[in-house]
Amino acid sequence: MSCVHRAPAGLKLGVSLALILGLAALPAQDSWWALVVLPALFAVAMLARLELKALLVRLALGAPFLLGVASLSLFQAHGLRESLGSFTKSAICLLTLQLLGSTTPMPELLHTLRRLHVPELLCEVIALLSRYFSLLTDEARRMRRARAGRTLRASRVRLWLALGNSLGLLFIRTVSRAERVQTAMRSRGGA
Amino acid sequence: MHIPDGFLSARVALGYAALSSLGLGVACYRLRAQRDRGASVLLGVSAAFVFAAQMVNFPVAAGTSGHLVGSALAGALLGLPGALIVMSAVIIMQCFVFADGGVFALGANVFNMGLVGCVVGFCCYRLLCGAAPSPTRRVAAVAFAGWCATLAGALSCAGQLSLSGAARLTVVLPAMLGVHALIGVGEAIISALVVASVLRFRPELLEIGGQGGLAIRPRTRAVWAGLGLSVAVAALLAPLAYVAPDGFSRVTQALGLAAGGKPHSLAPLSEYGVPGIASGVLATVLAGCVGTLLLFGSCWLLALALVPRPPRPSDTEPSGVPVESSG
Repeated sequence: MSCVHRAPAGLKLGVSLALILGLAALPAQDSWWALVVLPALFAVAMLARLELKALLVRLALGAPFLLGVASLSLFQAHGLRESLGSFTKSAICLLTLQLLGSTTPMPELLHTLRRLHVPELLCEVIALLSRYFSLLTDEARRMRRARAGRTLRASRVRLWLALGNSLGLLFIRTVSRAERVQTAMRSRGGA
Repeated sequence: MHIPDGFLSARVALGYAALSSLGLGVACYRLRAQRDRGASVLLGVSAAFVFAAQMVNFPVAAGTSGHLVGSALAGALLGLPGALIVMSAVIIMQCFVFADGGVFALGANVFNMGLVGCVVGFCCYRLLCGAAPSPTRRVAAVAFAGWCATLAGALSCAGQLSLSGAARLTVVLPAMLGVHALIGVGEAIISALVVASVLRFRPELLEIGGQGGLAIRPRTRAVWAGLGLSVAVAALLAPLAYVAPDGFSRVTQALGLAAGGKPHSLAPLSEYGVPGIASGVLATVLAGCVGTLLLFGSCWLLALALVPRPPRPSDTEPSGVPVESSG
């Protein structure tokens, strides 16, 4: 836990929102100014002792999509400058968001959302989602491995059928898990 | 379809954020009216299901792969307000934890994949299902609803990008629609397969969105259907209206929505002949209609192939529409 991790989530959220808002307000052709923020962002990443390599890999994973959207503005008056500018801008926004995501624990983020008067039901759903998504992702991965083991050389049609089938089964398991969770909550005095 | 930060103008981003929070507020209010604890647990775990399902890639063509969005599927399985909350929770989580889609563009993303996707998907599903749907009809309906929801989301995404001046409409509209017509086919097939297998093993689960705790009352069903159709039409017509700025500004003035989309980035459009653009858009819309009809037919074929035939030989299969569900 570095000092960046320990900083209040509301502060981090506010600062990154303000930064992203400011970057988004830059006109696309002059967004070279966005590069000014880059050293500060890297300093924060060093301070938080994040692995630089993992950060860059995640940035590179997001880059093709940014390029795709940016290339749509190639066909305008100052196309190349504009699309390069908006690519720079959005890449830096993405980096900011990744820093926020990797230094803010989910419960604190939820606490901040509650304080911002996000409806209680939505907060509950997000809390349950953050609790169960790794479980269900693991379950999906196990089912995929089992499927891969059983359909060694299947045709494409069989593969699709098996895929849809396992997703359907996953939903059925999801509903029974929800029933079990609810029973457990009731038995512990929950509503 | 996740719009990253830095592409939307402040006005567009804030406007769509207001729209989505309005929709979310209505959904939360409707669910709170019939609140029991089970609803939020089911919704939370189902959100995790949608999240996990989005991680499963399916092969599209030649090494590329796509993944499910799931708004129509969630609509069919959980009902409209529930699906809206589930999809929004998934999008918010993706934004803050995985930096997938921007935080400034969060409102627009929730609008595209949550509001438009769920409303269009759910209303297509409900309208096609009718009162007492047969399994075949359900599967066909969810497949077609998945395709429609994907395309409607792509349309509104293209509208947002061009409204904020990130790209010209004549470029972004065919690009988004072309790609998402293909992605939508994958979405349709996966949704149909999921619903078919749920129907085979636990068909009563498909009633969660219909009659269970998350039900909408039949009285309001027509309202939701009308709402969905109007959103669909609006998503279809917004780009067209944008091409003809006079009509659009007149409408916004008449509705008192002066702060809406001010067409200030329209200047580069006017040097091109508007008739040329209009006919291009018209051709796109026409091609879209023909493609939609073709796709609707294939959804029926898919459903006929997926749902096992009932053993009774007296069924009138060829017409496809079950007679008993017409009333």
